[in-house]
Formats: sequence, C-alpha cells, structure tokens
Amino acid sequence: MYRQLERFAGVLARTLALVGGAALLAVVALNCVSIAGRALVPLQIGVGPIRGIYDITEIGMAAAVFAFLPWAQFNGAHVRVNLLRRAMPGGVERALEVAFDAAALAVATVIAWRLWLGMLDKLAYGETTPIAQIPIWTGYAAGLAGAVGFAAVSLFCVLRSARRLAGAGD
Amino acid sequence: MSGNLELALWSFPLLLALIFARAPIALAMIAVGAGGTWLIVGSPMMTLNQLKTLVYGQFSNYSFSVIPLFLLMGSFATMSGMSESLFRAAGTFLGHRRGGMAMSAVGACAGFGAICGSSLATAATMGRIALPELRRSGYSGALSTGALAAGGTLGILIPPSVILVIYAIIAEQNIEKLFAAALFPGILAAAGYMAVISIWVRLSPGSVAVQERVAWPARLAALAEIWPVAAIFAAVVGGIYAGVFTPTEAAAVGAAGSGLVAAASGRMTLPRLGEAILSTAASTAMIFMVILGAGLYNSFLSLAQLPQAASAWVSGQGFPPWAVLSAILLMYLVFGCVMDSLSMVLLTVPILFPVVSALDFGMPADDFGLWFGILVLIVVEVGLITPPVGLNLFIINSMAPQIPISRTYRGALPFVASDMLRVAILAAFPPATLWLVWVLDGIG
Repeated sequence: MYRQLERFAGVLARTLALVGGAALLAVVALNCVSIAGRALVPLQIGVGPIRGIYDITEIGMAAAVFAFLPWAQFNGAHVRVNLLRRAMPGGVERALEVAFDAAALAVATVIAWRLWLGMLDKLAYGETTPIAQIPIWTGYAAGLAGAVGFAAVSLFCVLRSARRLAGAGD
Repeated sequence: MSGNLELALWSFPLLLALIFARAPIALAMIAVGAGGTWLIVGSPMMTLNQLKTLVYGQFSNYSFSVIPLFLLMGSFATMSGMSESLFRAAGTFLGHRRGGMAMSAVGACAGFGAICGSSLATAATMGRIALPELRRSGYSGALSTGALAAGGTLGILIPPSVILVIYAIIAEQNIEKLFAAALFPGILAAAGYMAVISIWVRLSPGSVAVQERVAWPARLAALAEIWPVAAIFAAVVGGIYAGVFTPTEAAAVGAAGSGLVAAASGRMTLPRLGEAILSTAASTAMIFMVILGAGLYNSFLSLAQLPQAASAWVSGQGFPPWAVLSAILLMYLVFGCVMDSLSMVLLTVPILFPVVSALDFGMPADDFGLWFGILVLIVVEVGLITPPVGLNLFIINSMAPQIPISRTYRGALPFVASDMLRVAILAAFPPATLWLVWVLDGIG
C-alpha cells in the first residue's frame, strides 16, 4: 500500500514538473519568435511581435511554477539550515520533520483552496489580461493543477515522515 | 512602544528558532507572517483574502519570470560542455604561471558565471571538471577545493544573477543598471581570487606543476572554441544593457541559445533534457516558495510598522551613515555563516533598504540603490564560502570525499579575506561600481 502511494506521489510530482517544464520551454520559444517578429517589423512583410507576449509569458510562468511545487516538496528541495542537525537527537529530528511536513500540507491546502476561490472571482468578473484579452481565470485554472498536486504530494510526505518517526525505515 | 511593534520584534527570535530547528525557511516565514498578521488584525481573514490573488500574482509576475528562465539557461549550460572549453581556453593563457591551473579554474568559473545566474550550478559544473585535474597536478586539497568554491560564487557575482533580480524587485531598482553595476566588481572578484592563488602557491611552493607556455595561435584556437559562451553573454547581458530586450526576453534568448549549444554538442538526450527540467523545477519552486514566504512575513512587518519605526529610530539616533552601513554588512557576513543568500536578501532588504536609504551617503538615490545592492550581493555571497554552513564548500567537498571538510574550510579562508578586501574597496570608492552605469546612461 505504502509503496504504491510512494510511486503514485513520485510519478505525479515528476509528471507535473515535466509538464511545467514544457510550459517553460513554450514560453522560451514564444519569446524568441516574438523577438524575431519584432526584429522583422522594419521589413514590412506583415510580421511583428506576438500580441500580448507579456500576458502569455505571465500565464505560462504561473502554470510552470505551480506545477514545480510538488516536485520540490517530494524531494525535500526547500532551503533549510542544517547547522544543528548533528546536535539533535534522531527522534526529535524525525518528530520535527512530521510537524514541518504537516505544516507544509496545511499551507499547500490553503494555497489550493484560495487559488480556487480566486479563480471563481476572476471567472465571475470576467477579467482579462490587458493586451491579449486572455481570461485571467484560465491562468488560475492552469495553476490549480500544480497547487492540487502540491497538496496531494504534501499529504504523502506527512505519511512518509510519520512512517520514519515510527521507525519503519524507507 | 506599541504592542504591534513589540510583536514584530519578537517575531525575529521566533523565526530564527524555527529556522534553526530545521524548518524549511519558506514555511517558517509563512507561518510567522500569517500568524503575526492574524494576531494584529484579530482574524485570519485578511491573509486568506490576500492569498486569493497573492500567490498567483507573485508566480505570474513578469519581473520574476526571468528567474526560472535564467535557471533553465544554467541547466542547459551545465550539460553543454562549454565548461570544458572554458577551462581549456583559460589554461592556455594562465597555465604557465605558478598556480596557473587553479587560476584557470577561477577564470573558467568567471566565464561560466557570465552565462549562468547561479553560484551553486557554477560551483558544481566547474568542480566536476576542474577538481580532478587540479588534484592530478598536485594542488593541495585545501587550495583546490577553496579555489573552486570561491570561483563558484562568480556565478552570482558576474551578471546575469538571480539574487540581483530579486534585489532589484524588492528594492525597486532597475535590473538593467544593476547588471551593469555588477560587472566590474565581478571581474574584480575573479582577479582577487587569482591573486590569492598566486600568493598561496608562493608561500607554499614546490607542490604545483607548471605547464608550458602556450603560443598565441593555440590560444586563439582555444578562444575560438568558446565563441558560444561569448555569443550568449553578448546577446543576454549586452541585449539587456543596450535595452534591446526586457530581462525576461534576454533570459529566454539565453535559455534557447544554451539549449541549442547543448543540443549541438550531442549531449542533450531526452533523459538529460528531463533532468535539466527537473533540476530547474526544484530550484524554481524553492525560490518562489521563499519569495512567497518573505512576502507574507514582510507584509506582517509593514502592518506592524516595523520598517518605518526602524528607519525613524536609526535616523533619530544620529549614527554616522558609514557606521550603519558597516554594521549592516557585518551582520550579513555573520548571518551568511549559517543562512543562504536568497533568504537573507528577501528577509532583510525590505527592512534595511528604507533604513539605509534615509541616510545621507552623498550620492543620488538611484546611485545609492545600485551601489548598496552590489555591496549586499557580495557580502551575502561570501556566505556561500564561510564555514560552518557554506553551500559551495559542501558541493565541492562532496566531489572529493578523501579531502576532510576542515581542510576545505581552511582553504576557503584566504578567498573570504579577498572578498572582505573587495567589499572595503567598493564601499570606499562607489564610482568603481557605478562608472559603467554612468557610461551606459550617457550613451542611452
């Protein structure tokens, strides 16, 4: 059971990170195309920069960053100060780990929940980006995939650290 | 003193206690910031309402979007093989000097730093290539690990630089000008590290092999091999200086360029592309969580009016500006021994920048913001090579398990000394930092 959950959380985190990476690569490509288009404007052959490239960049970037969160959580990639690690008894360290993972779960859940509500607001007001007129809720929806994944992976991380505290090993 | 202010002051020890208990720094800042705001307002609703748009707003912020792009560019550069050609090219110019190979490693780090905005990536990439060579040529463990750990900090000191982007956003400074201001101090850093190596090998002679002097045709041939590095640096940093690109566009061009070089070198297989994306993902998520945490924590501090109170208090005491500046820089050095540079900048600049801006250093506000940013950049980067917690030291040391960490610590100290000297010089002569900005302003 635990092994399956571990595999599921790992695959979920990895997949979301790779999808986010694809969004990042798309942003790179679109920006390059837009720059090329801008450079060709003086030739007057009907090409120019991509309309609303700033808007597209912002949305793509938000989708990517949210999608990266579960991967960082799964791998424990968040910055921390390990100065006192050696001085800490192993049991204390493992108990704190459970507490921090639980706090991360709480934060991830609140982020996903508030992002959902934010999306409903943007949907209700019909807000769009200033230039490309893309509905802003679509950006929120794209971010939500990562945010929900973040909460799910955080839940697994609590389980993982609780097992370590109970002495189950890896 | 009002109760809110007292609350804000007490939040520092609490935050530090959490951080030392190994709480992820971002999480600690979120908890203390949200908790403190709750206590002041009397309800969690303010933070909760803020969060409806705050997280998306920060993650989609156009200025911040340069960060993942620079990280991606660095990941591609790491696998492109450009680091080897840089090391070879630097070797043809410096290899015949005493300590020349270590100097070449520093020079290659400087070149790599010009296309990579992260110190850890620079240390890891150059360490993998140069450390075995240095050991084989008889360099001591202390010198080779110390030089590479210090060289790694050039990743951040030489533009582009992720930390500078973040400073620019929180202190509301111009990124283009900050990159210009960072260039000369970055080159000075590389020169300083080379000088340290030169002195070191003279004090403990006999151990290092000296290579034959390389003739100019071979040097030029080696230089020709690093044209992609030069082209990418010119496009990215030159494009930003010249105002052709926004920093985000420049970073996109740089990521595309280093990606193409990696693909052309035949090293970019699909699995390695995946690895590059995953390492970018982990660093990006880590940085944005810290940005989010610092945002919440700092909004709590502003609600308690701490920055205003601190600024008023410091100006009211009539301290000499230079004493305040020195105290701040010293504080960064001390905290840098245990904290990472990003968290330090995000945590302290929102409070300290208003404090120091209110003091008179005899220069216009714009110039001051740039100059202070470069000084902060250097002192927080020193933290990467100061014991006991210096991430670059750990990265380099992990590549050479037979060298005890204590020897790496000792090896880093002369380089730390050269950093201190550089800070003192740049603090005493602001034009050293600002002249390029002035020149570019004059043209533009």
